[in-house]
Amino acid sequence: MFMKHADIAPAQLGGILSAAERAARAIPPAFPLDATVAVNPFLGQTGEDLATVSARMARVAGIPMTRSGADYAAAIAAGRISDDDLRAALDATTLPGAPATLDALKSAARRDMAPPHALPTVADLAARATGTDWPSIIEKTIGLWASGQFDRGQALWSPKPGAQAFAAWRAWATHDLTPEIAGLSGFCAHVADAPDTPERAIWRAADRLGLTDAAAETAFHRLYMDLGGWSQHGRWCLWQAELAGQSDRTMVDLLAIRLIWEDALIAHVPGIATLWTQTVADHAAAPTATADQVALAILQDAAERAHQRSLTQALDGPAPRKDRALLQAAFCIDVRSEVFRRALESVDPRVDTIGFAGFFGLPLSHTGPGSDIAEARLPVLLNPTLHTTSRNDDATEMDTRIRARAARAWGRFSRAAVSSFAFVEAAGPLYAGKLLRDALGRANAGQTGRDKTPAPQVVGGLTPQAKADTAAAVLRGMSLTRDHARTVLLLGHGGQVTNNPHESAYHCGACGGHTGEVSARMLAILLNDPETRAGLSAHGLALPQDTLFVAGLHDTTTDAITLYDQDLAGVITPAQADDLVTVDRWLAQAGRIARAERAARLPGSTGDDVAARALNWAEIRPEWGLAGCAAFIAAPRSATAGRDLGGRAFLHSYDWQDDAGFGTLELILTAPVVVASWISLQYYGSSVAPDVFGGGNKLIHNVVGGLGVIEGNSGRLRPGLPWQAVHDGDALAHDPLRLSVMIDAPRAAITDVLSRHPQVQALFDNGWLHLFALDQGRVAARYEPGLRWSDRSAHAA
Amino acid sequence: MSDPSLSMLSPSFLAPLAYLALAGVALRRPGRRPGALPRWAEYAALAALVAALGGLVQVVLSGPARLGTTDGLALIALRADAISLTLVLLVAFIGWVVMRYSRSYLDGEPREGAFYALMAMVLAAVLLFVQSASLGTLVLTTAGVGLGLRRLLLFYPDRPEARRAATKFSLVWHGGDVALMLAAVLLAAGYGTLDLAALGQQAAAAPLPATTKLAIALIVLAAMLKTAAFPLHGWLTEVMEAPTPVSALLHAGIINSGGVLLITAATLVQLSPGSMAALVMLGGFTALFGAAVMLTQSAVKTALAWSTVSQMGFMLLQCGLGLWPLALLHIVAHSLYKAHAFLSSGGAIKAVAAQHRPGPVAVPSLGAVLKSFGLAVLVYSAIAGLFIAVLGPKSAQSLALGAILIFGVAYLVAQGLADSAPAALTKRTAIASISTAFGYFAFQAMAQTIWGAALPGAPVPGALEWALIVLAVLSFGLVAFAQALFPLWAHHPATAVLRVHLVNGLYLNALLDRAIGGFRTPTHTS
Repeated sequence: MFMKHADIAPAQLGGILSAAERAARAIPPAFPLDATVAVNPFLGQTGEDLATVSARMARVAGIPMTRSGADYAAAIAAGRISDDDLRAALDATTLPGAPATLDALKSAARRDMAPPHALPTVADLAARATGTDWPSIIEKTIGLWASGQFDRGQALWSPKPGAQAFAAWRAWATHDLTPEIAGLSGFCAHVADAPDTPERAIWRAADRLGLTDAAAETAFHRLYMDLGGWSQHGRWCLWQAELAGQSDRTMVDLLAIRLIWEDALIAHVPGIATLWTQTVADHAAAPTATADQVALAILQDAAERAHQRSLTQALDGPAPRKDRALLQAAFCIDVRSEVFRRALESVDPRVDTIGFAGFFGLPLSHTGPGSDIAEARLPVLLNPTLHTTSRNDDATEMDTRIRARAARAWGRFSRAAVSSFAFVEAAGPLYAGKLLRDALGRANAGQTGRDKTPAPQVVGGLTPQAKADTAAAVLRGMSLTRDHARTVLLLGHGGQVTNNPHESAYHCGACGGHTGEVSARMLAILLNDPETRAGLSAHGLALPQDTLFVAGLHDTTTDAITLYDQDLAGVITPAQADDLVTVDRWLAQAGRIARAERAARLPGSTGDDVAARALNWAEIRPEWGLAGCAAFIAAPRSATAGRDLGGRAFLHSYDWQDDAGFGTLELILTAPVVVASWISLQYYGSSVAPDVFGGGNKLIHNVVGGLGVIEGNSGRLRPGLPWQAVHDGDALAHDPLRLSVMIDAPRAAITDVLSRHPQVQALFDNGWLHLFALDQGRVAARYEPGLRWSDRSAHAA
Repeated sequence: MSDPSLSMLSPSFLAPLAYLALAGVALRRPGRRPGALPRWAEYAALAALVAALGGLVQVVLSGPARLGTTDGLALIALRADAISLTLVLLVAFIGWVVMRYSRSYLDGEPREGAFYALMAMVLAAVLLFVQSASLGTLVLTTAGVGLGLRRLLLFYPDRPEARRAATKFSLVWHGGDVALMLAAVLLAAGYGTLDLAALGQQAAAAPLPATTKLAIALIVLAAMLKTAAFPLHGWLTEVMEAPTPVSALLHAGIINSGGVLLITAATLVQLSPGSMAALVMLGGFTALFGAAVMLTQSAVKTALAWSTVSQMGFMLLQCGLGLWPLALLHIVAHSLYKAHAFLSSGGAIKAVAAQHRPGPVAVPSLGAVLKSFGLAVLVYSAIAGLFIAVLGPKSAQSLALGAILIFGVAYLVAQGLADSAPAALTKRTAIASISTAFGYFAFQAMAQTIWGAALPGAPVPGALEWALIVLAVLSFGLVAFAQALFPLWAHHPATAVLRVHLVNGLYLNALLDRAIGGFRTPTHTS
């Protein structure tokens, strides 16, 4: 609850403000691009099914929630979706208005469907009535204000930091003459006369607009969607505040601001009153899916069943267990690891791989060398509890800082008013060299290879007890409790790109949009520590004396792996060092195999040029990120080893027989599965509704405020994945499918976990995720809404 | 007056042909992934660059070249000399960089092939423009640049913002063309030639008739429109609607057309003190106005566009002061810097994040700022004295410009003198300040050496000129001083209102929108 209801108290206002709060919570948070992570764009709608959300989102944003009928018809015609898939989807639906027969469903796919249209705002109606483009003027003026208000350091002259958004906007809008020049005379005075708290402003505008309690929620949701990424940024402010146990009022401020505009426009164009009354009535009705939306939701389900069918065929029982491996390599569950893991295992039979969330269970807040900024390197659902730093010695640290500060002073010099002329005259000609260097991709060429960042250490250190406790928890979480190899690699990941505002989207989501370097190194250091080893036996865990943990970083753009062997000084034996030479060779071989496989998907790539893509400042598709992700499998690796899952599956190592009390199962279902669903649904949203949930066209991106991008000269912040990250120019590179979660565990245990986590259960019950139970590596049953299971033998999965 | 030995071909005249050939090929494959076309686009750009280098070699070995007659209206006449070859090299180099960039950046675009055709045509027109020897060629080629650029600005024709920006651009750009055409008509009627060298000589030989004064004023007007000078600067701040390489080319190769026009016609323009004064005043104001607005812009490409408005204003100021070689230096330096800034603007997220890492910015106090101005003036005197001792005396205009620039350097000194700045930082900023001061004196000396002979020297200042010089030094000095104290007043409530108006560019663009229907709901005709 972030509204101040008590502020204006009377009971009849409660309805409006509650609707405002529900509308605010219907908006997903957008994480700033310096450390962005995928967020489920339908986070506020997980209590409803796809068809109902289609109706809701059509009303408030004018977007489809699925691909077009023609796309499904093409997939049916090509045989990618079979009659069995369609029939199964039809059988499973409980939606009213579903097509009665298979043929009816097929013809629905071919039917000409009207594209969704959002209900109009007052600004839309005013534009139609007067011919003045009010929606665009609002977008521009609010965008210009917001880009300054939320600026993190792009402009040298930004507004006074720390001001509350509503107060700051009122101060702005009482002086901004643009709306009056555009024809809305008296707007500055209108703002000056507006109530001084956002709650009062919302209530007064809702009253003047005749919004009933019933109509208010989607009417407000409509206005939030109209603000594009700015409301998602406001929602992020709230998210961060609530994670820290506080609250934030940006969302209520933004709604008040947008409502003051609506209020002004309906007074300015009284002729639209009738149309607006009709719109309010439309908002008051509960969103109900049309026959088209129902049919599309069923077709989408059928497309997902088609994918599940092939996945089920691939999972045909576990590979035989092997003897002690020479190398175990733990990767992030990220779908990009699947390609590399398969390649690495193919290099030598003595290699095993493991999948676990890339922060390796360490909830770190990390401060890098020469930095005052603590970065949260963990899933955004969690708060950090361990503070780490990777400082150099004092002299080097000081030198790093002085360099950075001198560079910053030079940057300010180059951009400030009069000094920019001196800068251009004195330094401009030198940019010929920079242009040449960057055009040839030489800017960061020296940075590949060895990373010299100092090893991370825990601030204040850890007691031997704490070391052992942390290590035991992580090892159990990774199902890495027995059969340890001599060398265990802990590989974080990050994507090396150049000149790309969405760089952090290629990094590790489990590390909060940073690379996994620090987490992997911290864990390896912890597990090699004799104090940790000594304390582990008290936890019933024993690591062999000759097991060495080695941290590394998997560059997902180049498939090169950097090993942090400098962290091993003092713990590595000559025999282990010999092993590491072999490991290095295997990694290089695996890298070549993985690159060749990935190159086939990258337009114009030959495989040899993959490394050059990472250094190319004009590259808009350095790699495909998590595009294509479609499945999440928690099982022993033997269930998936040797199968080509096409880089589309999150692979989490899990052996339920080692999971006494199913604590690890609960963790998997409530953390990595939820994070994977966010990723999958972000790709889904950016693919089916790119205009609203996609980051727009990279070719005209204009980075704003150090936090996001706008397109060209518009005012709308564009969160989500850029079009080029999901589309290769010819076709979607991401097949928008909701994730199929497959868990090798007893059904009763899964049901038990879900029943204790209703929000997670809602994801499965409302079809945002599919769930399957595996048994001995084979699909045994499909989850049905309401904690039920259907045997695979009864239903062709 | 036509020197027959000059009538010969320079390899640089062939540079546009490489692009025209490319355009011919590209027009046949306008769609997505047009085979080897992107690769050939880079090769064509390299060929143009080689041709430009060939032209340079020829000028060094055998002096300037000229194509076309000097008699009559000389609609098509090209020249190859130190000035034109500097610009040809600049444009050809930027052309290669953007074409290479586009190979990756445009991959998979629905109109990928058409993009290369349009870029090639625009680059060909620019390469002809900068080599023009006659006003007629200038008129034709700059109009061609405008037509091509408009199509590029409409690369995403469905975007209403793009259509609005393109409309505004065409209006102002072709307004400049009309002014230039009128000037050409007046001059042709008065002197019977459009050859710029001939025009300069003939006009200087007799007192200026009113028609010639008007023609010069029209040339200056055209230059101001094409460099996005105040108050019709608005179009430039909206044209990030086309792919980034177009912005890079526009800000590096096209926006300086106005400056190239003035420099090409320098002998003529300098004959009119009134036009020169107008350049100083409007150029100087545009420079300060654009720089102030730039400070408030949170979108990186928008801030860069305002920076261009400001830098072009400064370049016009240099023209108005008669510092022609310095104006040309400014064009070259700014082009290289701005092309890089646009092409690398995707790094802005990282750059902003990096700013926060080493802790808070040290804020200089009033005392530190005063000290920094004193130090900067000392450094200036020492380095200026050194250069004068070695290279001979400088004009008053040149010294005034040096003073303006050193006020800017004072800001760098001030940052190092802040009380909370550690000694090592003070040392680094001091070294950077001295290098900067030295750097621009050295570049200016080079500019004078390379281009000075072909351009008129700065006029001996009379009362008007002195007044303008003092005004310029004072106003730039005041803004520089305010800027060094910036953190002390930027967030004061009294300046918040000023900031609102500046973010909006003092509403001139909004007023233009109102005048030309830019606020209307979009229709689907372009």
